[in-house]
Amino acid sequence: MSGAPVELACELLTESLAAWRIRRSVERTSDDAIVISGDTRIRIEPAPRDSMFRWMVAIGGRKRPALSLLAVLRQVREALDPDYAANRVRVAVAPLVPQ
Amino acid sequence: MTGADVIPVSVLTGFLGSGKTTMLGHLLRQPEFSRTAVIINEFGEIGLDHELIETSEDSIVALTTGCLCCTVRTDLSQTLQDLLRRRDEGSCSRFDRIVIETSGLADPAPILHALMTDPIIAARLTLGSVVTTVDAVNGCATLEREPVSRKQVAVADRIVVSKLDLAERVAESALLRQLDALNPAAPTLRATHGCIESTSLFDAAFCDRRAGDAWLAEAARHAHHDHDTEITSFAVIRTAPIQAIALTLFLEALAEHCGADLLRLKGIVNIAESPHRPAIIHGVQHVFHPPAWLDRWPSADRRSRMVFITRRIPQPWVGVLLDAIAAEVADVSVRP
Repeated sequence: MSGAPVELACELLTESLAAWRIRRSVERTSDDAIVISGDTRIRIEPAPRDSMFRWMVAIGGRKRPALSLLAVLRQVREALDPDYAANRVRVAVAPLVPQ
Repeated sequence: MTGADVIPVSVLTGFLGSGKTTMLGHLLRQPEFSRTAVIINEFGEIGLDHELIETSEDSIVALTTGCLCCTVRTDLSQTLQDLLRRRDEGSCSRFDRIVIETSGLADPAPILHALMTDPIIAARLTLGSVVTTVDAVNGCATLEREPVSRKQVAVADRIVVSKLDLAERVAESALLRQLDALNPAAPTLRATHGCIESTSLFDAAFCDRRAGDAWLAEAARHAHHDHDTEITSFAVIRTAPIQAIALTLFLEALAEHCGADLLRLKGIVNIAESPHRPAIIHGVQHVFHPPAWLDRWPSADRRSRMVFITRRIPQPWVGVLLDAIAAEVADVSVRP
């Protein structure tokens, strides 16, 4: 993974916490991880290159993989926002490009 | 001037995402609406609705300076006078009807009041009917949450319930009961994918209306309408084409994390895999419609432009969300 997605992921997490009104600081570490400080420490780092996952998320010592940034966001919010309940999403088959 | 010169002005209102523009686009393709001038009022820093309506008419005016109900005495009056002048000069089609599509957040009462009382307008224009669209999926919740949506229903001559194909029958029944309680005099019509029997939709006279009198009286007392201060509008504009899967993930994230606070999203998107046919996206709260594909770009502007009307959702988050997802998709695409 290039540095750019990690940098953007760090920015996204910072803005996400602000949007969710969660007061935590987000920092990028020298070993290319992202750390969210607080009572429950969260560390997010790129998954190993041979992994099918893109990220590893450690929350309070428990490490779980994440397939995408969206999965990272979901894990972080579930850990930090007690009122969070993912909204129901209506799914319908639709072409991604015009047929 | 003869009585025949008096042009009816109808108002198409309804809360954000309730299907006003879709229905208007359908109506303008009908022969009986071929001589219609349209004024579209949008609440946002860039206007899109006028680009989403495919019509050959040259009598479409976009008002993007603010919500019409707040600037009604100046913008609307001036716009109507300009339209009449262009009609008299022959510099636009000789329309015999005007339809005003309000912004989804507009209180219709000041607009109707202005149309009734402005002496310059009254000399050549007469108030036609008020048609209010209501979304069958979100309608009940919206009516409970948003006072302005109740006003929109209360002043209607006709209520058009949209998106019935997405709504469960129980929700539809509850909505119809709510509408009947708010405005029992207004017939309720059904639109399917924006299509509706257009005959007489805009023919009802304002004097037939009873239910909206209280709102109009209130409008006469209060010159200014305050919007919910937590509601904001912003645009996200990107020059680089967006990969289809990135857009899909972006919309998924918005639905998951914003829910009811995403009041409305409309956009025209330059999809990398479809450079000549832009996608039109619509979202209301957690419901997103499948993209519609235009046959061609409506103008030389090929940028992706998405307009958000939100409550308590900061613009920077939306922008970086899109960029981060696009970067991740691009990174996956090039990963060996």
